Amino acid sequence: MRRFRLWTLAATLVFAIALTGCGNNSSENTSKESDNASATQVEKAAVEKKKLTLWFYFEGKERFDKLKTLTDGFTAQNPNVEIEPVYVPFADLKKRLSVGLAAEDLPDLVIIDNPDHAAYAAMGLFADITDEVSTWTDKDQFYEGPWSSTIYDGKQYGVPLGSNNLALYYNEQMLADAGVTPPQTWDELREAAKKLTKNGVTGLGISAPANEEGTFQFLPWLLSAGANYDQLGSPEGIKAFSVLADLIKDGSMSKEIINWTQSDVLKQFSTGKVAMMVNGPWQLPELASTVPDLKFGLTFVPKDKAFSSVLGGENLGVVKGDHVKEATAFVKYVVSPEVIKPFLQSFGYFPPRKDVAADPYWTENPQLKVFAENMEYAMPRGPHPKWPEISNVISQAMSKAFTLHSTPEEAAKDAQSKIDAILK
Amino acid sequence: MGKSKERIAGYLFVLPALIYMLFFVGYPVIDNIRLSLIDVNVMNFSSGDHPFVGLENYKILQREGILATTLTNTIVYTIGCIIIQFICGLGFAMLFSIPFRMAARLRGLVMISWLLPATITAMVFKYMFSADGIVNELLMQVGLIPDPIKWLVEPVTAMLVLVVANTWIGIPFNMILITSGLTTIPKDLYESAAIDGANTMKRFFKITLPLLKPTILSLLVLGFIYTFRVFDLVLITTHGGPVDATQMMSTYAYKLSFDEFKYSQGAALSNVMLLVLLVVGFVYMRLVNREEKA
Amino acid sequence: MSIAVSSIHRSRRLRRNAIPLLSILLVAVFLFPLYWLAVTSFKTESEIFRTPPTLFPHQFDVKSYTEQLTSSNYNIMQGFRNSALIAFGALAISTLLAIPASYGLARFSIAGKHLMLLLFLVTQMLPASLILTPLFILYKQFGLLHAPFWATILANATAGIPFTIVTLRTYFITLPKELEESAKIDGCNIFTTFWRIMLPIALPGVVVAMVFSFLFAWGDLIYGMTFISKEHMRPITAGIYNFLGFQRTSWNHSMAFGMVSILPVVFIFIFVQKFIVSGLTNGAVKG
Repeated sequence: MRRFRLWTLAATLVFAIALTGCGNNSSENTSKESDNASATQVEKAAVEKKKLTLWFYFEGKERFDKLKTLTDGFTAQNPNVEIEPVYVPFADLKKRLSVGLAAEDLPDLVIIDNPDHAAYAAMGLFADITDEVSTWTDKDQFYEGPWSSTIYDGKQYGVPLGSNNLALYYNEQMLADAGVTPPQTWDELREAAKKLTKNGVTGLGISAPANEEGTFQFLPWLLSAGANYDQLGSPEGIKAFSVLADLIKDGSMSKEIINWTQSDVLKQFSTGKVAMMVNGPWQLPELASTVPDLKFGLTFVPKDKAFSSVLGGENLGVVKGDHVKEATAFVKYVVSPEVIKPFLQSFGYFPPRKDVAADPYWTENPQLKVFAENMEYAMPRGPHPKWPEISNVISQAMSKAFTLHSTPEEAAKDAQSKIDAILK
Repeated sequence: MGKSKERIAGYLFVLPALIYMLFFVGYPVIDNIRLSLIDVNVMNFSSGDHPFVGLENYKILQREGILATTLTNTIVYTIGCIIIQFICGLGFAMLFSIPFRMAARLRGLVMISWLLPATITAMVFKYMFSADGIVNELLMQVGLIPDPIKWLVEPVTAMLVLVVANTWIGIPFNMILITSGLTTIPKDLYESAAIDGANTMKRFFKITLPLLKPTILSLLVLGFIYTFRVFDLVLITTHGGPVDATQMMSTYAYKLSFDEFKYSQGAALSNVMLLVLLVVGFVYMRLVNREEKA
Repeated sequence: MSIAVSSIHRSRRLRRNAIPLLSILLVAVFLFPLYWLAVTSFKTESEIFRTPPTLFPHQFDVKSYTEQLTSSNYNIMQGFRNSALIAFGALAISTLLAIPASYGLARFSIAGKHLMLLLFLVTQMLPASLILTPLFILYKQFGLLHAPFWATILANATAGIPFTIVTLRTYFITLPKELEESAKIDGCNIFTTFWRIMLPIALPGVVVAMVFSFLFAWGDLIYGMTFISKEHMRPITAGIYNFLGFQRTSWNHSMAFGMVSILPVVFIFIFVQKFIVSGLTNGAVKG
């Protein structure tokens, strides 16, 4: 009897495998079909192929397909090189690259968040392509900010792929109802946010988690006060922490911002729970598709001394290895004006190069105009090989100040001493 | 003769598993110890020039207060979790050991919380405990709280949410192991106790608990280990925040290694974890030893 | 006398009605997060952000489910197959190695037995993420990175083995020693005793250990993520993780994916649970 039970159990397990095995057949069929499709391409190429891999972290099939257009386009011009884009989630990318570096098991190309570029260059991930780039006339077309993020220690380790920055989104209806105009200065912001806060709506939403996303959102405020990441403890730095902490004290901004990602902030805005938010241009398509009726306007992030903007976006890095030549050729191909323009448009990016940025698509669209103007003076984060560490100190100080567990001054001073230790 | 044959047989039973584990886990652990005694960071990663620094990495962790914070958090969290989940697990196990028609089915239902990937569980709890979430809503409707609590913003409540979430995952584990332990208790013990006039309470404390002792011991130790090394749950629910209030040794070690590229410090912190767990393991062994000799 | 009878009566009635009711209530409260998961997956985005939250979706929306099939190039069925392969593989290895080991540690006097036990306890302690780099290098040296399924299975078995040993060893210890002695008299040697007598008796414990070994591997994310880079070979957990991404938060999509990912496990489990429960309650050990 007991043995019988064991056998039934075993049979159940086998049956379960068989069941899940059924799913296999159909999927194998589909993958065979796609194999056939690519097989014909292989025949055309005839010559021996070099296979490269590109790691990226953009989600969704649509964005994958757009990336595939780039790699396929390159293969069409260079039939002996094939580049396979491989998705690695953002949260995993750093770990995968570290592990890969240690085990020398890496892709040939990586699309990477621009503030991390210097750190990976310092760790020896990227190939030095200074010589290949020095004779390249296009290089003068790039904006200073994005371009400098690809340089470490005077050497070139990649090329900017696409840029973005932050602006203030506001709900037109709510502002009209409260009788306020879009705030331009910090004082106006505080007043406006107060008036907008009622009936379960808070005035402003930003994203302030204890990671790079939080730092990214904080820098415009810091820069506007006239400080930078190495002057957090200065009166200007303290002021930047204070202005946001005051909004929280007033109740015009939720403490929960320390847990909100930029997508969370978007959800709060699109569902009418915050009247204004700081966010990037990549959210525009999402707003258009999820809440087509919502009327919103865009303006600069309110200023203290001057309007400021921080550079977001990704770079294309060429990884050390056997395929540096092909990878560099691919990078140059991707950022050539005719190739990059449709790509940037489809991704909600801003052009890192001036000639493309002059296109009316960006300069004349009322929604994109604010971001386009921001691009002119967008400051890169760092560049510094220890940026990840610096960034953690900043976002940590934000958490302290915004949960009101420390005064802005304590948080800023403490962060300053930690950053001094990192920079020394 | 028979004795030595038995001994050889014992080794044959044990060695394959031991070798397997030494190979796949022992090696990485030793490598981690090596890594913690040298200095590997973002600047010298590729140069191959990794100076031996002795215990410096451990000292840095101690100096910067990281060790104290993460160790305290982890222990508070772990103890909180294992106590609550053990009590709840025992409760469920006892309840379902009463023969009634739906007992087996209900026990099966409870197991589902164990089957959910930690990633998803973390998201559900994060969502339930957000300021506008269902937990606040229910508590307000019942009249227990006047205003919504910002669970994940305050240090104490954020820790509480993590404990609740992990307890939720851990209860089935406790329940099923206790249930399995209950089956080893001979039924006639209860019958004779009942004849002797022992009531339910007395039977529980005089028979059930003492006879469950080996099960409980290994359960608490395993619970400690699984809770102590918690990772995904914290990373997604609170990300160690607010202001490191829920930063665990595992999440901080991960942050050091893979976010800030301070590989050696990350390795050092995980070795401290290992040390704590070794102590726990050792205590467990002593207890088991005494138990088996008795 | 009559008081005693009525009290027995009352306690019978209590058992018949109150205990099931109490149990159902407790289980319902316990499973509320699961209910919330299910309900949220059927809500529209705007309803999710409504204050106060709705206990039941006003508008029953299956978009979160249909979009999983269309907007991702990850094949869910294939993901289940991959997860099943990995989980059964890891289960097979840990069963094969750990069950004899737990018996060995329970019944034989072995030099350094306690050190070994400590080692088994210790080896499962470090979070996977922290032994990842050395493990990756080790695999590379042995060429295991070219067999990503094997790499993942081997790594996942390291969770099941120590668990099985620690729990099953206590189970074997509780079994009466007379069983083996009488087996020996019947002419069984050490191995046939283990195989024919002890293993069948320990079946409830074995099944529980096997189920947990399976679940450890099924729930694994980090090894599957690290060792398997080909999309079509990834297990379901890695699929979810990829699908969700960390940059955007969409509660209904996340919850829908959570629902889909647990369904087959729940089915398998409900099936297997009968065996566990019957194994447990029949009382495999009787004096």
